[in-house]
Amino acid sequence: MARRIKVVIGKIGLDAHDRGILLLQDAFKEAGIEVAYPGKFQTAERIVRIAAEEEANVIALSDHTGAMLTIATDVVEELKKKGMANSICVVAGGIVPEEDKPLLEEMGVTGFYGQGTPASVIIDHIRRRVAAMDAVAS
Amino acid sequence: MVEQVDYNRDLGHLPTDETESGIRVKVVYTPSDIAGVDYIRDIANPGNEPFTRGIYPEMYRARRWLDAFVICYTNTKETNETFKRCVASGLTGLRYVTDTPSASGLDPDHPLAKYSLGTGGVSGYALNSYEQMFDGLPLENVDYEGGNVSPAGTTFNYIFLVAMMERKGLDISKLRGSILNDPIHSFMVLNTREFPVELARKINADIIEFSIINTPKFHPEVPSGYDLRETGVTMIQELAFCVANATQYCQDVIEGRGLKFDDFPRQAISTGGTMDFFENICKFRALRRVWTRVAQEKLGATAERAKTCLIAMEVCASICPSQKPVNNIVRQALVMLSAILGGVQSVNPTGFAEYYGLPSEENRIVELDTSHIITHEARVPLVVDPLGGSYYVEWLTSEIERQVNQLLKEIDKRGGMWKCLESGWLQEEMDRAAIEKERNRTTGKDTVVGVNAYQGPDGPLSKAVIEDAYRLRSTEERFKAIEEVKRLRATRNTKRVKACLTELYKVAKERKNVIRPLIEASKLYATVGEMVGTLRLAHGYSYDPYEAIQVPEFLKELS
Repeated sequence: MARRIKVVIGKIGLDAHDRGILLLQDAFKEAGIEVAYPGKFQTAERIVRIAAEEEANVIALSDHTGAMLTIATDVVEELKKKGMANSICVVAGGIVPEEDKPLLEEMGVTGFYGQGTPASVIIDHIRRRVAAMDAVAS
Repeated sequence: MVEQVDYNRDLGHLPTDETESGIRVKVVYTPSDIAGVDYIRDIANPGNEPFTRGIYPEMYRARRWLDAFVICYTNTKETNETFKRCVASGLTGLRYVTDTPSASGLDPDHPLAKYSLGTGGVSGYALNSYEQMFDGLPLENVDYEGGNVSPAGTTFNYIFLVAMMERKGLDISKLRGSILNDPIHSFMVLNTREFPVELARKINADIIEFSIINTPKFHPEVPSGYDLRETGVTMIQELAFCVANATQYCQDVIEGRGLKFDDFPRQAISTGGTMDFFENICKFRALRRVWTRVAQEKLGATAERAKTCLIAMEVCASICPSQKPVNNIVRQALVMLSAILGGVQSVNPTGFAEYYGLPSEENRIVELDTSHIITHEARVPLVVDPLGGSYYVEWLTSEIERQVNQLLKEIDKRGGMWKCLESGWLQEEMDRAAIEKERNRTTGKDTVVGVNAYQGPDGPLSKAVIEDAYRLRSTEERFKAIEEVKRLRATRNTKRVKACLTELYKVAKERKNVIRPLIEASKLYATVGEMVGTLRLAHGYSYDPYEAIQVPEFLKELS
């Protein structure tokens, strides 16, 4: 049986661009990936809490304002605080400033797929991240 | 029947027979396609009903379109300086935007503001930031175009302008410009929470009523098609939703406040500009024709001016992909040209590297130069509506008008846009269109150079364009607003602010027009968060739209 993957999509802060999420949600479901999208205007604390409740293994952050570094820093902090940093991986997409990418990767945040990326590329990336996490755990 | 041929891009064919919005077109148009079009009834000379060819007899020779480009950076000083230099290079309208927290009715120290501080514009949490942003710029008889689109954003785009003028002892009746006060579209595209529907609807009418009486040259209600279009709706939906929204707002004021539509300022409608060249041109021509009919049938327009609408065109950022962005300079020039051929009154291009950051100062100067090259070198505006009478242009104009009218009928049948919003029908229609558009893009049905065709690496020119985009400032710099607002609260006259907010609460509770008390509170540096919170309390909602903070100590008595 294929590995169960559950993604919580996190739209943290006040960014309103969520067309991409609308389209991705369908693609995730079609690929057999479970999705929870609690809507816009969330906080890092809320997203991590929802991920715990949903027993998710992926948090997918989306932002189009250029503030991904601030957002992801808080999410990763929160995961560490709750002792979930090894059971939930974080990916990020939308618009991620080039200069922030190395800093984000250092924190373990990957992906950075933007506008026009085929959903299959994003799904592959998520599967690989989960597989890598499993490999470390076993 | 025309024989079906599989056209192939790689063999030099144009493999589509549809316009961008899916209108099927023939290879050529002839007189028989416009046999039903009557020149006097359907086209007419410019300045004559139904204004297909333009709203003024002389159009651009007498009055060029406004070059009203958004300038919005993280700090007020750089925004102010760029405004001044762009005005010196020919900017004729000042379009300003404040950051997402202030536009969402939140102060910089709100827990949710942290992630979006300084994104998309200056932190416009109180009058002081407007005073800095427009320092040294003339306020009377200059066009100020508020660029925010959320209910609190548009409200304070107006309130702070008036408050700033009054503090300087200027005549507010000389305020010119507009705000994108279009709450139905805000709920459709943003859904920020500061004003629930009932409250947003009331404030929308308050602004229109106050502005008609006190700032008669200002356009207090402009439906915004740009944002709708960017969510993926078709051009037909864009026009119909804009017209239907404007109709609802005007009806609210005519019925609820006893004003006559002939006394309103000329209706302005803001639209999105996309790539299909002729579809753009015809959509502006069709929009004027649709509005003329609606203004008379629905709003009782009798004055000539009331039957016309001003059209603003903002280039959709989504037409500027991240791949090979040097091409976006060409794309913008084409869209600007089509808008001008369509007879618009204001043009606002987007950034060449919008994906990477906000338009830089040189980006803006190049766009101003483009506008001047179109005018003075290419002499495009020399003759009014030069494409009028073209078989294709007249046919497509009529076809767009027909489809828009059909959708307007459907909206009417459903009880108007407020009802369509409430029932969820609008959301369904929008989502369907968005998914269809994305499918056309990913399947390659819509060709986008550099994205799904003719791909290639970014060369030095494209790299320079990317490098030049304005990057979001450091967290440290963006977070300065948190200290600023705390300092402001500690240094202003709290007693007087409290008295003003208490008055605002009282007026709001009595359901009277809240614009005057909002202006008075703003003049004493009440913050956006405090004013929004006070209005919410008076309408029976929690102080904080996101229920993350408590009512501040000095306002405790209100709740």
